[in-house]
Amino acid sequence: MMNRSHVEAALAAALATGGDFSELFFQDCVENNLSMTDGRIENAVTGRLCGAGIRVYKGLGSVYAYTNDTSYNGLMACARKAAQAVGEGACERQVRLGGSVAANISPVQKIPMYVPGARKAEILRAASAAAKSVSPEIRQVRVGMLDWDSSVTIANSDGLCVSDRRVYSRLLCSAVAANETENQTGAVNPGRQMGFELFETLVDPEECGRTAAKQAVTMLHADACPAGRMPVVIDGGFGGVIFHEACGHSLEATSVAFGNSEFAGKLGQQIASPVVTAIDDGTMPGEWGSLNVDDEGTPATRLVLIEKGILKNYMVDRLNGRRMGMAPTGSARRQDYTFAPTSRMRNTFIAPGEDDEAEIIATCGDGLYAKEMGGGSVNPVTGEFNFSVREGYLIRDGKIDRPVRGASLVGRGAEILPKIDRVGRKMWMAQGMCGSQSGSIPTNVGQPMIRVTDIIVGGR
Amino acid sequence: MELNLFIEKLFARAAEEGMDKCEVYYVDGSSFDVNVYKGEVVDYSVSDAAGLGFRALVDGKMGYASTQAFDEEAVELLVNAVKTNAALIESEDEQFLYDGHGEYAKLDLYDPAIDTVSAGDKIAYAREMEKRTLARDARVEQLQASEIFSESSKVRIVNTLGLDVSSSANVMGGCVGPVARDGEKASSAYRLFLAKGADFSDSEKAIEESVNEATAFLQAEPMPSGAWPVVFRRDAVRSLLSTFCGVFSADNAQKDLSLLKGREGEKIAAECVTLVDDPHMAGSVSSTPFDGEGVPTRRKELISEGVLTTLMHNLKTAKKQGVSSTGNAARASYASAVGIAPTNFYIAPGSASFEEVLAQAGEGVVVTQLQGLHAGANAISGDFSLGAKGYRIRGGKLDRAVKQFTVAGNFYQLLKDVETVGADLEFGMPGAARIGAPSLLVKGLTIAGE
Repeated sequence: MMNRSHVEAALAAALATGGDFSELFFQDCVENNLSMTDGRIENAVTGRLCGAGIRVYKGLGSVYAYTNDTSYNGLMACARKAAQAVGEGACERQVRLGGSVAANISPVQKIPMYVPGARKAEILRAASAAAKSVSPEIRQVRVGMLDWDSSVTIANSDGLCVSDRRVYSRLLCSAVAANETENQTGAVNPGRQMGFELFETLVDPEECGRTAAKQAVTMLHADACPAGRMPVVIDGGFGGVIFHEACGHSLEATSVAFGNSEFAGKLGQQIASPVVTAIDDGTMPGEWGSLNVDDEGTPATRLVLIEKGILKNYMVDRLNGRRMGMAPTGSARRQDYTFAPTSRMRNTFIAPGEDDEAEIIATCGDGLYAKEMGGGSVNPVTGEFNFSVREGYLIRDGKIDRPVRGASLVGRGAEILPKIDRVGRKMWMAQGMCGSQSGSIPTNVGQPMIRVTDIIVGGR
Repeated sequence: MELNLFIEKLFARAAEEGMDKCEVYYVDGSSFDVNVYKGEVVDYSVSDAAGLGFRALVDGKMGYASTQAFDEEAVELLVNAVKTNAALIESEDEQFLYDGHGEYAKLDLYDPAIDTVSAGDKIAYAREMEKRTLARDARVEQLQASEIFSESSKVRIVNTLGLDVSSSANVMGGCVGPVARDGEKASSAYRLFLAKGADFSDSEKAIEESVNEATAFLQAEPMPSGAWPVVFRRDAVRSLLSTFCGVFSADNAQKDLSLLKGREGEKIAAECVTLVDDPHMAGSVSSTPFDGEGVPTRRKELISEGVLTTLMHNLKTAKKQGVSSTGNAARASYASAVGIAPTNFYIAPGSASFEEVLAQAGEGVVVTQLQGLHAGANAISGDFSLGAKGYRIRGGKLDRAVKQFTVAGNFYQLLKDVETVGADLEFGMPGAARIGAPSLLVKGLTIAGE
């Protein structure tokens, strides 16, 4: 744990050359990674990530310095390095910290690091065996369990000092189906901010293994997806990656503050179809993207991004908030202490709508049904996004037809959002790791089934 | 605690627990990064951070643990975690520590000239780059990045079998990211460059190319769907290679995760394709005299004129297949287990200039950028279906930029379908690996656009 007087001294030293705000982020994190290939534990790795980062603002400029030396001398050296980069000059500053512990909205019953490895291995064995049993065409199964337990303290020159503990658990199942000449894959990767109890309650390891394996086998027998413009029905859960890429990133202050977003300056305007309401919610207990406090110490919020098609809010961190004249929204996140935080998504989803799922497909005519999505990416400046379909089917005359592989969807956010003409009633979420300026962080994507009237589908 | 003392205590404590075969992998790095926006420093980051990975053989099984804290508590955590983790391993694969025999190449990977450039000089240069980029074309409204970075790192591997090797490297460079605007239309591009010692003159080329690209896409035309001859420009080929380099890993092959399993000696690519991994390339921080297990590294051709000559091996996969390690053991970080990765990995250049490659294509499309490779490309199946940007080829010449389209194919098939290899070999930024490629002309691939 950090010594309070050391932190106060470092925060003051960081301001010694005229900075107007300083912040310290201390992290001590233990990670475990257990992986099984072909039914046998292949790797077991434990790691302790430990260090501190100091950030100084001067107006709209910021400096970040980090070190793994968290002794008094290490912190002071780090603070001086940051101060030196801010400028010259001498200011006497004193910092007095309060102190609090963030209220935990994601309680943990079984701390992962205290669960015997052999018990974790049982979960992996169950998932692996279930996947293997799906078909003789399953050539390889890889499963893994990741958990990390991160204690952080965030302190700043305004006197804020808050500690938080964040525990994450995740199961990774991937299967390869093969014939003589081809491989195809399937994957299911559920995670929560929970302890090991996750695998005894919400997540059924065997079900995960089977789902991944069935997907791989389905894709092995699928034809290539035809290419061209067509209507697309995107199912719930990971389908929400379309909103994450087509819109979410472009609503982060990281892009908006500099005008590098197609949605900059559009607050209050209609940017999506009236059937679309989208939310970024950091307050959902136990969820993968939830926060007690963000990485600047701001309490998490539930933020309506789009209400009935109208743009309501951006996701704002403290530094970009200065540039935009907006208050932070509890959205500042970072992978670990080696990154300065910035505005990022948390649990981001399209809210449930009023359309009947069966009707959505029945009235689609000929198109593509994207049952499971892969990941994607976006260029916020142009809004051009892309993402891949992990498990897709053709829709023929309003009926789900044969499976197709290798589909990808591309488009521009501002063009696609008004083309969402149906939003189903049942919303669910899925877990991903989102990579951006402040590193790779856990985020949820989600939506009910939606339909886009036309979009470019890549295939062969 | 000082490093040598820490290692001494760690090995002593491990020995008490019966672990006499153990190894430390230590990385110590520092970094500098500055980004300028409208003349002001908006981001500035400096770091010094070290980490240590510890592994040991217990009853033939290898356990791993790592730390960034170097105190008594860390010694206990490492020893206990390695012991516990080793006991969990069920894989029957034989595990090895290396004793340090053999010749290590003498590589000069640390350039003291880089250290002579002060933080102030770097900031001044980032400001100047921004000005030059803005001045180049009136449509360049602002920059997403005008950035200078430098990094240095030291790796040391010490084990109880007598291995004690270390290597230092540093690098400096920058990137420019112009945003061009014309009315409602916006477009962006991004280019990185490396300094040569303290000399930033390669920034000029990065500025020119990125501004040309950002402005060209303001007038992009739609790309008609269909099967077209495709020229993958050198940077797009690099993206494909870095995504699919894992298919050349013997570990993946042995686990049925690569379709190249058992294909050594067979023709797997067009005759014009030669693929090289050269850990001794000058001026690259991806070069190294020893690999992640401390084994001496060497240059090798993975594909020679279309024929698969070898996969990349570490000690474990080599033993399993009865061959020698190719010196491609890699640790993604001090915290990771030993895996396999390339070093400086490139397709050898052909003789056709980029213009000649375009002329051979006749009518078609040049792919300059591939998007979403982490999701739309699958290294296990070889399939890719990706968002892309590029230019039309008309009458054998580069024509208008085209709007976002998709390109789909299969990497294994693509290797066979290469018709021409360009002479324009260019390397990307050095990192864990450094990928290089010339432009390639490939037979018809399916394009989806308008």
